[in-house]
Amino acid sequence: MIPIEHAQELAAALLDAARGAGAQQVEALAVASDAALTRFAGNRIHQNVASTDVELQVRAVVGTQVGVASTNATDAAGIEECAASAVDAARRAPADPDFPGLPGPRPVEYADRVSPATLHFDAAARADAVAALIEPTSRGGGIAAGGVACQHSLIAIANTLGVAIAMPRTSLRTTVLATGPEGGTGWASFTSCDASTLDAHTLGVFAADTARRSADAIDLAPGDYTVVLAPEAVADITQFLAWYGCSAKSVHEGRSFMSGKIGQRVTSEMITLIDDALAPGAMGMTFDYEGQPRQRVVLIDHGVAVGPVTDSYWAAKTGSPNTGHALPAPNSEGPLPLDVELAAGDATLADMVASVKRGIYVTRFHYVNIEDPTRQTLTGMTRDGTFMIENGELTKPVRDLRFTQPMLDALDTTLAISKQRTLVGEEAPVVVPYLLLERFAFTGQKSRA
Amino acid sequence: MKRFCEECLDAATAAGASYADVRVTDTTKQSLSVRNGVVEGVQGGTSVGFGVRVIADGAWGFAASSELSPEAAVRVAREAVAIARASARVPARAVRLAPVEPAHATWSGPCAIDPFTVSTDDKLALLLAADAAMRAIDGISLATGEMEFLKCRKTFASSEGALIEQDWVESAAGITAFAIDEGEVMRRSYPNSLGGASFQGGWETITALDLVANAPLIAGQAIELMSAPVCPGETTTLILDATQLALQVHESIGHPTELDRVLGDEAAFAGTSWVGARDLGTLRYGSDIVNVTADATIPGSLGSFGFDDEGVPAQREYLVRDGILTGFLSSRESAAVIGRTSSGAMRADGWNRTPLVRMTTVSLEPGTAGTLADLIADTDRGIYMETNDSWSIDDKRLNFQFACEIAWEITGGKLGRMLRNPSYTGISPRFWGSCDAICSPVEWRVHGLGNCGKGEPMQVAHVAHGAAPARFRDVQVGVGR
Repeated sequence: MIPIEHAQELAAALLDAARGAGAQQVEALAVASDAALTRFAGNRIHQNVASTDVELQVRAVVGTQVGVASTNATDAAGIEECAASAVDAARRAPADPDFPGLPGPRPVEYADRVSPATLHFDAAARADAVAALIEPTSRGGGIAAGGVACQHSLIAIANTLGVAIAMPRTSLRTTVLATGPEGGTGWASFTSCDASTLDAHTLGVFAADTARRSADAIDLAPGDYTVVLAPEAVADITQFLAWYGCSAKSVHEGRSFMSGKIGQRVTSEMITLIDDALAPGAMGMTFDYEGQPRQRVVLIDHGVAVGPVTDSYWAAKTGSPNTGHALPAPNSEGPLPLDVELAAGDATLADMVASVKRGIYVTRFHYVNIEDPTRQTLTGMTRDGTFMIENGELTKPVRDLRFTQPMLDALDTTLAISKQRTLVGEEAPVVVPYLLLERFAFTGQKSRA
Repeated sequence: MKRFCEECLDAATAAGASYADVRVTDTTKQSLSVRNGVVEGVQGGTSVGFGVRVIADGAWGFAASSELSPEAAVRVAREAVAIARASARVPARAVRLAPVEPAHATWSGPCAIDPFTVSTDDKLALLLAADAAMRAIDGISLATGEMEFLKCRKTFASSEGALIEQDWVESAAGITAFAIDEGEVMRRSYPNSLGGASFQGGWETITALDLVANAPLIAGQAIELMSAPVCPGETTTLILDATQLALQVHESIGHPTELDRVLGDEAAFAGTSWVGARDLGTLRYGSDIVNVTADATIPGSLGSFGFDDEGVPAQREYLVRDGILTGFLSSRESAAVIGRTSSGAMRADGWNRTPLVRMTTVSLEPGTAGTLADLIADTDRGIYMETNDSWSIDDKRLNFQFACEIAWEITGGKLGRMLRNPSYTGISPRFWGSCDAICSPVEWRVHGLGNCGKGEPMQVAHVAHGAAPARFRDVQVGVGR
C-alpha cells in the first residue's frame, strides 16, 4: 500500500488542482487499501483474492454550489481531470442555501489501530487459519464454510480551510459455519484489528459443537416467547437502531424513532446506546470524512432518546453541535454513527438462561430487514443455533423461526443485559452484550420444502 | 490492451498457472440526486484496473490492481499464482472447468443517446421538475429523485485463447414521495422503489419514464395512504404487480437456482438453497403454469451481455418449465461438478472482484390471464399489492416475507379500499405452487434490479427480471397482525 505521506500528497495535489480549476473551497480524500480474503466451503478453499487500490475523491465548492468527483487514476492527469470534473459539477448544481461551507480543522485524538500481525497475515497464514477452522467440523464428519479477511487501509483528508489528517488501520474478520453430518449448523465469528489475537481452532470447535447440538431440531409454533439473544443477534438490532434512527437527517425528516421523541423514554431504562470511536476495542477512524473529531455521543440514555449524530451540514441545519459523523459526500444517509456500543449490564449468560422457564435462545439472525423505521419493526430468520430454554436450561434445538417485531417494544421488555460484550460485524462493527427480552414475536417457521 | 493481457497471462503461466484469465475494466459513473427541491449530490467517478484469476496446484487464486503497467501485470499475475498455491495448502479436489470454445469477439449494448453527452443541467432540470410536481400535492413533506448512469468497457482474455471486448451503457432513474406525520411514514415510488427503473441503454430510457407526469399520482397515493386502514392479517388470494413479482422471482427462484449456492459455496454468508443438484428434471417448483427463463440476450435488459466473465457466450435457458426444475445458473466450475456446461452466468462487480454466479434476466414467462384489469375482474376476493418496500428470506430461500408500499382490497372483481403497510409471507415451493394465473404478454415487462448483493467481499450485480402480474391463492398477508 502507498505510504501515508504519499496519500497526503495526493490529497494536497487534489486541493491545488481544484482551486486552480476555480473552486472556492475544496475537500480531498485519498483512500488506499490492500484487501485479502480467503473463503472456504465444503472443507476446501474455493475463493482466495487480494486487491490493491487507491481512490481519490474531491468535493469542490463554488459559493454554495457543491460537486463531487472520484477517480483511481493517481497520476497528474487523473488528478487534474478529477478536480476539473468536481468543479464543473459544482458550477452546474443549483445553490444550496443551507450549505454552511466546509468545516475548519479541530483537534483530533488518534488511536493506534494498525497491527503488525495483521499486516503480515499473508495467504499462507490465512490458509493455515482456514485449516484450523475446518478441522473440528471435518473430524466429526461435517463440512465447514466461512472466511478469513484481512485489510490494511489508509485515509488522508485535507481541505482548503486547513484540515490535514490521516489514519491507517488494519482489520481481521473470521467466520465459520459448521454443518454437522445430521444437518445441524453452528456459527462462530471474530473481528479485531489484530490478527495475533485470532484463535481459529477455538472458533472452529465452538461452531462444530453448536452444529452437533443443533441436529434433529424440533418444530415450535410461532408466537411470543421470552428470548436470550446472543451478541450476533443483538448486533443486528443495534445496527438498525443506529443506522435508521440515529442520524440527524432521518430525525429531522421525521423518519426516525427519535423524531418528536427526543427526551422521551423509547425503550426500557436498562438500554443505553452510545457511539464512541475512541472506546477500547473500537475499530473505526477517530475522525469523520470531513476530518472532524468523532465525538462520543450518547444516543439512548437509560431508555431515553437523547439525540442523533451530526455532520457539518446537519449540525448547521438543525442548530446542533457537529459531532463528527460525516460520511463521504454526497450521500443519501446523512451522518451516521459507525462505532456503536450497547452498554453492558451485570448479568452472566448463565444467569439469563437460568431465569427463563420457557423461552428461546438465538445465536444469530439472517437477512434482517426493516418494515417500519419509526417503530423499528424488523423481520428476519434465526440461524445456526436456535434452542429451547426450559426450566433454566438450554434443551432441544429448534427449527429456524421468522420474527416480525417492533424492536423498541421488544427492548422495552428487557429483563437483563450481560456484563460480557463482543465486537461483532465487518464494515462498522458494534460492541454488544447478550440480551434477555421478555417478549419477542416469532411469526413463522422455516419449512421442510 | 491485447498486449497487456498477454503479459498478464504469460506471467501467470510462467509462474505455474495451469489456467489463467485477465479482465481489464474501465468504468465511468455519474449519479445525481435531489431532495425537497435541493440538489443533494452531483457526483462523477471513474475506476480502472485489472484482475488476474488463475488455477495453480489445482486451486484458485485471484489478485487485482489499479496500476496498469507491464510491471504490475507481472507482479499481480505472480501474486495470483502464489495465492492459488496457498489455497492448495488445504487439501481438496482439484478445480475442473467445463469446456468452452475460446472466443474472439466484441459486443456492445444498445444506447441511442449517450447519457454522458446529456448536460447535467438537463438531468437536474428533469429531477427538480418531478420533485416540484410531487411537493405540489398538499401534505407531501419529503420528495426525492435520483439518476445514475454507467459506462463500462471490459476486456477479457484467457490462457485458452479467448479475447473478448465488451462495452455498454446503463441508465437508471426514480422518484419517491413521502407523507410523514406523527410517526407514520408512507412512501410511494415511481417507476419502482430501490432506485427506480434501470436499463441497459441511454438517455432515451429515462425520458420515456415521464417522471414529471407520474409524480402527482404517487404523491397523491402517499397522502391517501396516511388515512388508509392497515392491511389486515388473514390468508387470502394475492395479486402482485410486475415490479414486486420481479423481486419475488429474484429472491425465491433466481438465488435458489444459482448452482454455487446449491453446491454450498455461499453457505456461510448468503446461504445455500432448498434445491439440490440432483433435483434437476424432477423437482416441482411451482404450478404447471410457472415457466421461468434465464436469458442474457434480451436487448436493453440490465442482465444482458455478449459473454460472461469466463468468456462463456450469453444464453437463454429454462430454469423451470411447466413447474418443474430444469436448469441452473452456473459457472464453468460449478457446471463441471454436475457434468454440464456453463450457463454463462459468471460476473464480477468491477476489476477488483473475482466473478461469481449471478442472475442474468431471470423471468417468469407470461401466461394467458389477459390484462391486470382482466385478472382483478376474475378475482372475487383478495388483495392486490404494488411496489416493494422490504424483503427478507431465509438461508435456504424457503421462508420469505415481503412488505409493499401499497395495496387494495379486491371485492367482487373490483379494487376496493386502499390498504397501508401491506406484507405477505410464504414458503417458496408452496407459493409458486399456488400460482393459478399469470397475465398475458401485453403486461410483461423487464425490470432492472441494480442492487443484487452476494458474496464476500460484497459484490453488487446488475440483473433483471421479466414479469407480468400474477395471482396466488391462500397466501398469509398482514404478517404479525
